[in-house]
Amino acid sequence: MEGKDSKVEQKRHLKKQSGPKAERKKVRKQLGTPAGDDERKRNPKAFAVQSAVRMAKTFHRAQDLKAKKHHIPLVDRTPQEPPPIVVVVVGPPKVGKSTLIRCLIKNFTRQKLGDICGPVTIVSGKKRRLTFIECNNDINTMIDLAKVADLVLMLIDASFGFEMETFEFLNICQVHGFPRIMGVLTHLDSFRNNKALRKTKKRLKHRFWTEVYQGAKLFYLSGMVYSEYQTQEVKNLGRFISVMKFRPLVWQQSHPYVVADRMEDLTDPEMVRIDPKCDRTVSLYGYLRGTFLKNKGQVHIPGVGDFAVADVSFLPDPCALPEVQKKRALNEKERLLYAPMAGVGGVVYDKDAVYIDLPGSHVNQEQEEVRPTTELVQSLIGTHTTLDAKMSASRVSLFTGAAALTSGEVEEKEEEGLTSGPRENLVWDPEMRRERRKAVFIEDDNNSESSSEEDEDNEEEESDEEGRRIAGLREGANDKTKLKENQEPMTAPPVKRQKVVEEREAENESVVEVPAFADSEDELEMSEEEVGQKSEEEESSDEEGEEDAALEEGTIKPGDFSEEEGSVEEDNCESQVPDKEENKSNLISCYYFSGALRWKEGLQQKASEAFLRQQRSTPNLRKLVYGTGNMSIWVSDDSDGEDGEELGGLFRVSRPEKGKKHRADGMDCSRFDPDGAHDWELEEMFDSIRDCFVTGKWEDDQDAATLLKQDEELYGDFEDLETGEVHNGKGETILRVEEDVTQKKKRLEKKRRLKERFDMEYDDEDATYFDDLKEVMQKQAELNRAEFEDVDDEMRIQYEGFRPGMYVRLEIPSLPCEFVINFDPHYPVIVGALGASEGNVGYLQMRLKKHRWHNRILKTRDPLILSLGWRRFQTIPLYHIEDHNGRHRLLKYTPQHMHCGASIWGPITPQGTGFLAVQSLAGTKSSFRIAATGVVLDLDKSVTIVKKLKLIGYPYKIYKNTSFIKGMFTTVLEVAKFEGASIRTVSGVRGQIKKALSTPAGAYRATFEDRLLMSDIVFLRSWYPVSVPHLYNPVTSLLMPVGQKDSWMGMRTVGQLKYDLGIRNKPNADSLYKVRAPRHFNKLQIPRELQKALPFKSKPKQDKTKGMTPKDLQRPAVIREPHERKVAALLTALSTVYNYKSKKAQTAKRTKHKDFLQQQDKAEEDKLKRQKEAKKKLYRMMGQKEKKRQRSSLKGGPQDD
Amino acid sequence: MASQGLNYDGCNFFRQRLVLSTLSGKRVKITNIRSKDDNPGLRDFEASFIRLLDKVTNGTRIEINQTGTVLFYQPGLLIGGEVEHDCNTQRSVGFYLEALLMLAPFMKMPLKAVLRGVTNDPTDPSVDQLKYSAVPLMRKFGIDGLELKIVKRGMAPGGGGEVLFTCPVRKTLVSVNLTDPGKIKRIRGIAYSVRVSPQMANRLVDSARGILNKFIPDIYIYTDHMKGDKSGKSPGFGLTLVAETLNGTFLSAEQVSTPQGQGEPVLPEDMGRNCAKHLLEEIYRGGSIDSANQSLALLYMTLRQQDVCKALLGPLSPYTVKSLDMCPPGYTQPGHVILVTLLT
Repeated sequence: MEGKDSKVEQKRHLKKQSGPKAERKKVRKQLGTPAGDDERKRNPKAFAVQSAVRMAKTFHRAQDLKAKKHHIPLVDRTPQEPPPIVVVVVGPPKVGKSTLIRCLIKNFTRQKLGDICGPVTIVSGKKRRLTFIECNNDINTMIDLAKVADLVLMLIDASFGFEMETFEFLNICQVHGFPRIMGVLTHLDSFRNNKALRKTKKRLKHRFWTEVYQGAKLFYLSGMVYSEYQTQEVKNLGRFISVMKFRPLVWQQSHPYVVADRMEDLTDPEMVRIDPKCDRTVSLYGYLRGTFLKNKGQVHIPGVGDFAVADVSFLPDPCALPEVQKKRALNEKERLLYAPMAGVGGVVYDKDAVYIDLPGSHVNQEQEEVRPTTELVQSLIGTHTTLDAKMSASRVSLFTGAAALTSGEVEEKEEEGLTSGPRENLVWDPEMRRERRKAVFIEDDNNSESSSEEDEDNEEEESDEEGRRIAGLREGANDKTKLKENQEPMTAPPVKRQKVVEEREAENESVVEVPAFADSEDELEMSEEEVGQKSEEEESSDEEGEEDAALEEGTIKPGDFSEEEGSVEEDNCESQVPDKEENKSNLISCYYFSGALRWKEGLQQKASEAFLRQQRSTPNLRKLVYGTGNMSIWVSDDSDGEDGEELGGLFRVSRPEKGKKHRADGMDCSRFDPDGAHDWELEEMFDSIRDCFVTGKWEDDQDAATLLKQDEELYGDFEDLETGEVHNGKGETILRVEEDVTQKKKRLEKKRRLKERFDMEYDDEDATYFDDLKEVMQKQAELNRAEFEDVDDEMRIQYEGFRPGMYVRLEIPSLPCEFVINFDPHYPVIVGALGASEGNVGYLQMRLKKHRWHNRILKTRDPLILSLGWRRFQTIPLYHIEDHNGRHRLLKYTPQHMHCGASIWGPITPQGTGFLAVQSLAGTKSSFRIAATGVVLDLDKSVTIVKKLKLIGYPYKIYKNTSFIKGMFTTVLEVAKFEGASIRTVSGVRGQIKKALSTPAGAYRATFEDRLLMSDIVFLRSWYPVSVPHLYNPVTSLLMPVGQKDSWMGMRTVGQLKYDLGIRNKPNADSLYKVRAPRHFNKLQIPRELQKALPFKSKPKQDKTKGMTPKDLQRPAVIREPHERKVAALLTALSTVYNYKSKKAQTAKRTKHKDFLQQQDKAEEDKLKRQKEAKKKLYRMMGQKEKKRQRSSLKGGPQDD
Repeated sequence: MASQGLNYDGCNFFRQRLVLSTLSGKRVKITNIRSKDDNPGLRDFEASFIRLLDKVTNGTRIEINQTGTVLFYQPGLLIGGEVEHDCNTQRSVGFYLEALLMLAPFMKMPLKAVLRGVTNDPTDPSVDQLKYSAVPLMRKFGIDGLELKIVKRGMAPGGGGEVLFTCPVRKTLVSVNLTDPGKIKRIRGIAYSVRVSPQMANRLVDSARGILNKFIPDIYIYTDHMKGDKSGKSPGFGLTLVAETLNGTFLSAEQVSTPQGQGEPVLPEDMGRNCAKHLLEEIYRGGSIDSANQSLALLYMTLRQQDVCKALLGPLSPYTVKSLDMCPPGYTQPGHVILVTLLT
């Protein structure tokens, strides 16, 4: 209302302070709106239906919006004790990732952790555990971690702005399911003035929102205090993490995976000694996530390859959640920290070794001592690339401000101008001695300004630092040996531990053996001595030992478990034939048919015998369904060592053995004809199944009579409120049953029925299909939970596999030795299980789009590195596009801004899985490393991509419309294949292949719609199928030596090869552009006959040109006499003079006239002016007179003056 | 990279092996197929079966050695679509159809198969039985919109029948909980006769009703007499009975006359009684899934989502036991829980 811009000052609204209006308002405010005074009621017309159509539309819209919010309900499969949440901390180098992790760990566990290498698991709350993983700048690591992350903490250096790594990681996340992403701004203390800080925050926030979603959380870590973030801010961040909810991601939900936090080499040392390059058996440890894992499945380790798991076993949780959930907060003991790769962990013991935890403070002290104090040396330790590599990569600028740009960079910049995305701005950071890939958006000018300012600042500092840095580098080189020493304990943290462990093992050796005794079936066999010994040992052993023994005693080893159990079960059945209740408890239990034993007395014996017989013949179902664990069972093992009688001691008669034939070559028929064991003539048999029909006797709880009675009990009592009469059902008269159990049951039953009735009455009103579906899912989830609640873990694993949240140990044989030798805990080891057919390789059809920030289009048949499913692999894609008739036409290059199809030979992955493509993994050559993204459309065993093929021929004999063409084919047979095909000339004359000619091989006769010229070129357009190259080359980046893991190089592109080898193709001379000689055409000759027939307009005209005048008509030249010439000259002179004079006079006259006109104009103007004035005077006088007259008339003076 | 294949000996459970291989994507090598037999190698009906599999898949690689005793099968992808197949008359259409039932929901395109051959013979479950017992069972797993139609009826040995089978695509099957079969509410059936007197069917119905009427009055047995070109090439008759329970369990039994020129002819009265007794036997054996479809149900249970799935089965038929045995450990997806309870 009172905007500053509005020029017209408006009056402000003044509230009435008194009067009836104010009174009314006051009353209304006090009472609220009176009950009767509803808007709708007060003004019904305003809310009446104006238009039925409009109403329908609004209703539809409302419903649409409502339906949009629905997700397809899924069965809730989250385990009771979920695995730790994977928190991946990403960001460009030197942005504060390790510091943040360290601070968070300190915040949650009150422990300090020196070096963050490998996953760090902590207990963060009563129900939540966290696993922190640091993600370095390597794109391999970024891809792998994006696939397993639940939460991503994206660190952004606010003083610098966004870097390309951030956007790359966001893109990777988008492709592989979008985990929760939280941004964290660091280096905020570098801003001097508050306004710049605020502006930067806002700018970064909005850019972050466009990338993630509107309103995504962005955290600010304002500054460092003693090289740590402020406690309160870290605490807040921790709170956010610990209450965060996560969305289920499709790939993670459907695949079990383990982020390995511990690796042990199990290979026999002797074998390693003999052949250091032998394949290794490795056990990997970690929490199982995703979904249930079956033993002996196929897994993929990104960066290593596909492997079969030899054995999976679960271990006690090394970082368990607190057991009692009563207290409000965790106590010090429960704040566990587990990071074996960093050298910290709880008590872990397994098949290989026993590890004892040293108190965390102790470890820290050691590590703190080791840590060098100077930041420079520390940063050198932290990096993975060798000093040489860094030296070679770094460029020392000699003059301040002189940025040395290579030719490649110049080219890049030129191209970048075309793309719409952010431009990469390589900024040399003197502190970190690396190039930072700043993401510069063209639209924001502030950024570039500020950065340039910064640069200036930096430049000033640079000169100072220059000398320091070089000195530092030299120092670093000298310290190289020292560094190596320091690094050793880092790369192999558990070494020290192992020693302790071995000692411990030696002590406990006998303890370990104890369970073997316990395991033996008959404990009585044990001699007394042994028992004594055992007891002594048990006393001596600490808690773990006891636990171990108990575990072993209580349960049987998983390997021989099922068989033994089976036999036990059988025994049970035999011994407990009449005991029905016992058997029911078994899952695969043997029920008695209720009527089966209620025959005559004599039959009972027979039936029980039959039952026993059947029991013996029934195979162990559990074994059949869930497997025994060893494959040998179902691969038929028939040995050919049958003893047939020998013929003459030499030959054996080969006869199909009856029994064997039945087994191996039996008839494949599912028809089941029951044996005639039961005689259905007997009345007893009839009786036995009579209750199976609705006409038979029902169960007690379903019988109509009892149900009626129950209803009476339930609803019989009621009090008539009007009369006050109390009606009692029969329930009152029924004798009270003494047993509490039955009473309780009844009460529960009553409650249930009441609830059911209530639900029926009230829930059904607005129950939709969606609600029903949800309810079904809920029920299934409850069933899933309830089924195995009280089954012990060993048994449960047999049924459902290892459930997520368990700490498992995967034993993987035949891993390449480089995995162990070049193991670097900074690189994550992920074990992702594969689905049923995901181990196969086949053709994949995908939809692909070149990333709009990637600055060059992709070429068909150039190898590309894809990240699809768990895998990263190099393959050769063929790009294609679908024509209007469904033909897949090969493209040479991907379109600029359009989707296209891509076919590859690669691992079969479910349809709808996203993928991303990178051109090379080594280094950061391109500005934006992600080349393309897309989705798997189709898996097919055959592909039909075609490319256009034009066959060219030349006419060598031309008749009227028929021509003989040569040079298109080479044999008669080829022509025969193309008979009837349509052909065309360049000028557009269409034709058809007729028949092959005999003499020049491959020539043929063809007819055209017009006569050809000898200079015409004839071509045949055809489509040639292209086969997809079979290249599937898994990226084995984890096998690279330490420090070079980000430099994996696969197959090179042709262009790269040519560049590297310096090869240049010689172009085809015909394809080069050149100036064409102008063509001359002969004159058009029209036959005389035709000329005659033409109308006059089109007739060639006969008129002659001017040069053709005949001699007689040509006039002769006049030659003058000298006198005549003189006269003529004089005349010319006179006329010239006259002309000049007259011209002069003319101009003079014209000027004069002009002046005259001007004067006239002026006079006219003056005249007008005068007249105007005179008129004015006159009118004024007239006006005054009039006025006077009026005045006088008003005064009532004399009428006429 | 590629998952390792499986090796088998002998031609037993041929269909199961190939079907499971196709579903799991694992290649299979079967050796010593009737190697000791006088007439070694694959039979015509098995070859026909392989051809059918080839039709419904894409990219299948099949290698058979010269004597036909070794088969290598690398499964392709299940494509589906419209398929026509002339089944070998050595076995009835049921032989082929059973495998198709297992594969059909997992195709890429809805399957529409026209199978020609013998529709009813005494060795295999007939199309009628599958129609009345397997199709309702599949519906329980969420596969609705199935159609199994007998266009022409052809009895063994001549054949000449035609069956139309259409099945929609279901990527995920519903978890079922079939622990309570419920009581039988009605009995239905179909008595068919071709190229014999239509009276045969009536005689079958009468004799079967004679026994079943003692239990339940709600019995209706349709008679189906096909004439002309719909009646196939050989004479014969048969009876299929289905008992339906309150909870939607279908228990079936069937009897088919012996093929012309093989074995001794049977009286329709005897057959009707026998069939009714078989049904009673089936009811006696109990369970929520009748013995002819146990293996089908168990397969679906393994291929469904990872939820608890329960079924109450009667004593397992030998075929089911073997097919369970076939199912390689680790074949089921992780988290699959199948609970089978046995009635004895």
